[in-house]
Amino acid sequence: MAGLSYSEILRENALLGKSMEGTPAYTIAVLSNIVVAQLNAIFEHPLRRAGIHARVSSGDYDNIPQDSLKFREADLVIVFWEACNIRPLLQARANVMEAVEIQDLVSAVKAEIDFVLNNLSRTSLVFFNQFSSMAFNHHVIGRNNFDRICEELNAHLTAKEDACSNLFLVDVEKILASMSVSKAVDFRFFYSSKSLYSIEFFRAYADYCGAIIQSVAGKARKALIFDCDNTLWKGVLGEDGFDGIEMSARSKAGAIFEEIQQIAVELSRKGVLIGLCSKNNLDDVNHVIENHPDACLRDASIAIKRINWEDKASNLAAIARDLNIGLNSLVFIDDSDFEIERVRSGMPEVLAVRVPESLHDYPELLRKTSRLFYSGVLSKEDAERGAMYQREIERKAGISAFQNVEEYLASLQLGVSIAIDEIRDAPRLAQLTQKTNQFNLTTKRYTEADIRNFIDSRSDSVVSFSVADKFGGYGLVGLCIVCRGVDAGSATIDTLLMSCRTIGRNIELAFFDFLIPFMKDAGIEAVEATYIQTQKNNQVIDFYERVGFQTMESTQTVRNYRLELDVYQPRNLHYISIRYGNQN
Amino acid sequence: METRIKRVMASVFGIEESQIGDDSSSETIEEWDSLRQMNLILALEEEFGIRFSDEETLETLSLRQFIDVIGSKTTAG
Repeated sequence: MAGLSYSEILRENALLGKSMEGTPAYTIAVLSNIVVAQLNAIFEHPLRRAGIHARVSSGDYDNIPQDSLKFREADLVIVFWEACNIRPLLQARANVMEAVEIQDLVSAVKAEIDFVLNNLSRTSLVFFNQFSSMAFNHHVIGRNNFDRICEELNAHLTAKEDACSNLFLVDVEKILASMSVSKAVDFRFFYSSKSLYSIEFFRAYADYCGAIIQSVAGKARKALIFDCDNTLWKGVLGEDGFDGIEMSARSKAGAIFEEIQQIAVELSRKGVLIGLCSKNNLDDVNHVIENHPDACLRDASIAIKRINWEDKASNLAAIARDLNIGLNSLVFIDDSDFEIERVRSGMPEVLAVRVPESLHDYPELLRKTSRLFYSGVLSKEDAERGAMYQREIERKAGISAFQNVEEYLASLQLGVSIAIDEIRDAPRLAQLTQKTNQFNLTTKRYTEADIRNFIDSRSDSVVSFSVADKFGGYGLVGLCIVCRGVDAGSATIDTLLMSCRTIGRNIELAFFDFLIPFMKDAGIEAVEATYIQTQKNNQVIDFYERVGFQTMESTQTVRNYRLELDVYQPRNLHYISIRYGNQN
Repeated sequence: METRIKRVMASVFGIEESQIGDDSSSETIEEWDSLRQMNLILALEEEFGIRFSDEETLETLSLRQFIDVIGSKTTAG
């Protein structure tokens, strides 16, 4: 975190570690061929601050291939393979090597990379630094052998990235560029201790990678809410009028706001929910969004609007409620100190970002903030999410016209479509485990590689479902992972979750009407299940009781259940149709 | 200055400040190994806004020595 010195980080990190003792750890192994000992605490610290009990352990010095076997069970493996130490002094020796020697070396290292990635193929997540010559070669005009070796190895890594769903390549050169090579590298300990990087570099490295871990751990932000005047456009709509506000590259001030709107549209396409929260007349703002020739951010990219003269804090609370997400999923941007302060003090879970005084810093600040929304892969659902939430709001508006909820649900023409062990859905299923908090019985977070392991396993079934209604599709929203026990007739529900966008429609009950016969057909007689309490999943605390499970021994936070499949009473909800495979 | 140095040492070695006495050195503190020596140097440089020379990073191995070296670097300012 900015502001803390290295020794303060060490101190606070140790204290945080102590306070988190006993909570499940997120284990991280750093495999390296140079000394990167400072990384451990600097990497743990921001994650621990964010509530993730990170624990970093280091492999042995220059033992990456061997350690890739030893640490494959870690939640995350970081491979810090420094080009200059692939062979001693490679940064210099490479440039006097013969072409054939270089080819031999590159082939040998490629084989080592393959060996390491193969050993880590079942690890949840692997960060692999791209090779870089920059620490030594940023003065060199043209390219030398050392540059070429790095390029060749990187091309090999890039090809691997497409094939390995758990592999994330860390672009070290972007990190170096963000701070300058001379600040990132400290040669004093390089020749004596094989340590190359400065404390500052490790800070930037942790910052860069931290966003990805947070997303895997289900802590990515989901919605970006803009004020309007002097935040989405230059000027005050109520004073300067429709023709007086600026948001186009044709004018100097307008260019900045066009860039902001373009970034907002891009984020919305990546699945970030874009919202407006402004003290203005709704009709005036709608007129701009719909009709202003310079506006890029249009209704299609906006999931929610709260345009009124009420307090912004309560408007943000309403936005979170309408979108069915937590306050800690919101980022709010405004140009007014008053509004920012109000939100920061009233609802600290919301990240409130002030539009900078020097407007030219605004686009960069927004780009940096965008990292908090990082969500690994982009699924089809991501791209359509904004529109889906809009429909959700329309649906809610429809509820009051019916006598009771059942009548309303029947009017929706709900359909559930089931898929089993569908490998193509692995990215989306992993994302569901990472993002779903409310209707999630065990809140186990899995990566795409984890999901693939479940799918590949003969004893486990990955049952997923999509939902649609007359307003449109909600996409793939539900997941249940069933693991067979040693005893053939028994099974355990490892994971049961459903995206919050389909909560309140009794989809889960209809799903069990499918799931139980499915398990019976597979020869299962009894199934065990667990509810693990978190801060957010209270609404499903009695879910298993509601579908007829017997309570087994339980503690305050963990409840165990069992169901003899023969005694299950189906709900037969007439208003939800279930489809599996080709049957209708 | 002495208290600040002790505080940094305690964080780097992961021990209590009270465990660091006037005669503490890499000989008397078990946690003070070569890796932590490097971390200590980096942490102290940041704390005092100074920079140790190559020799100093290797040869400054006790609380007293650190007080002397850091003293000589900070008195000028």
